[in-house]
Amino acid sequence: MNNKARPLTRRRIGLTLAAITVTLASGCASVQQTSPRDPWESYNRSMFAFNDAVDGALLKPIAYAYRDLTPQPMRSCVSNIFGNLEDVWSAFNSFLQARGHDFFNTLGRVLFNSTMGLGGCIDVASMNGAYKIKNDLGTTLGVWGLGTGPYVVLPFAGSSTLRDGTARLGGFAAGVSSLTPIFEIDNVPVRNSILGLYAVEAREGLLDADEIVNRTAIDRYSFIRDAYLQQRDALVNQRRADGGTLPDYSDDDLPDYSDDAATVAPAN
Amino acid sequence: MHTRFTTFLTSIRSQRWAATALLVAATFFVSFAAQAKAPVDPKAAPNEFVQAVADNALQAVKQDEAVKRGDLNRINQLVDELILPYVNFEKTTRLAAGRYWRQASTAQQQALVDAFRGTLIRTYSGALANVDEVSRINMQPFRGDANADDVVVRSLVTRSNGPAVGVDYRLEKTPEGWKVYDINIENIWLIQNYRNQFAQQIQRDGFDGLIAALNQNNLK
Repeated sequence: MNNKARPLTRRRIGLTLAAITVTLASGCASVQQTSPRDPWESYNRSMFAFNDAVDGALLKPIAYAYRDLTPQPMRSCVSNIFGNLEDVWSAFNSFLQARGHDFFNTLGRVLFNSTMGLGGCIDVASMNGAYKIKNDLGTTLGVWGLGTGPYVVLPFAGSSTLRDGTARLGGFAAGVSSLTPIFEIDNVPVRNSILGLYAVEAREGLLDADEIVNRTAIDRYSFIRDAYLQQRDALVNQRRADGGTLPDYSDDDLPDYSDDAATVAPAN
Repeated sequence: MHTRFTTFLTSIRSQRWAATALLVAATFFVSFAAQAKAPVDPKAAPNEFVQAVADNALQAVKQDEAVKRGDLNRINQLVDELILPYVNFEKTTRLAAGRYWRQASTAQQQALVDAFRGTLIRTYSGALANVDEVSRINMQPFRGDANADDVVVRSLVTRSNGPAVGVDYRLEKTPEGWKVYDINIENIWLIQNYRNQFAQQIQRDGFDGLIAALNQNNLK
């Protein structure tokens, strides 16, 4: 019964998403293109507006309520437990990228946090200086040499690129992602509650960043797009630049601004 | 017997002396820590310079009562006082404007710098807004040429209620010492992130349109 329900739900979600995508893609006005990496800007802006509406009406209020109703230590615990699951996936990707140091470090984090950290509830590894090394399939593909492709805003999930979005949805569909252990839970109500908590927790973690964007952006859409692209590029570049064992703080990923003013030396 | 008694007395006296010394030292240490504000030397090594500036700001934010109540304007004020003197925001603005900078008049350029200032302050505040009692700034080992005129200094801001935040600073050497002109929060460079927004706004509403939009933001 439960096993039957699972693929069905997933297919239904997929169909709904497809329907929304088609509606939005056909319904949007064309906008002036502002970045060479964003050829689908008019579609993206519509999806961005849609996500914003859903977020404002549903996710954000829930996230704020979650923040108000729960004590900080409990939220940290929840966030760390999901983070511990993500670490497993990060470690696997570090392995795929042949980054032994990162792989063993992250694996060590998982073992340490799962035991001494009471099942991931407390991030004891970070407290001891073993900080999180984020990794995912999109980054792995990037390290293997695949470019990001155009920027794309996914329904509900938000910013992505063709490469990262495909990696994410593909991994999700194939049952290999950081959420896989949750999908393995046979009890549907329990599984869905955990997925719901995951979404709320993730949104709560973004509330502060959201606030900063609101206070600093001239155009929120461009701000978020460029921030996302910068961050993704940095993840890949840091891993490409050295083949070494240290955490990566190489200089190769500095943006190059051609300074037109003649008063100072060019900034590179 | 007599000698033993003297030894006993001396030991008591020296113990008391040690206790007093310790107390004095502790008082001194506490008052020193509370005063916090260490002198900043812009001509020091890049890492030390940034550490001094950032530590001062962090201390101030940690101790401020208004900040603890969540008063964002107060953080902005502290950033303005403690960080902005070491920031070349004219350069930040110029680089963000890119090729449009030269097309503007001197008055327009100045107006843009003034209008962008508020955004810069809010961005630097953003890097400090989530610190808590146990937050620390851990400088990362300096990589690159310390004799260069354009360097990057990396740091990690740790806190108890979330993962550490990477904050990097890009500095240039000026006759007065180091000046910060770009900041990177979690792999996002500030200037880089405003180039498209500036260009887009200028193309749509002109240079003055951009100034107006920034000023509008400052009122929010």
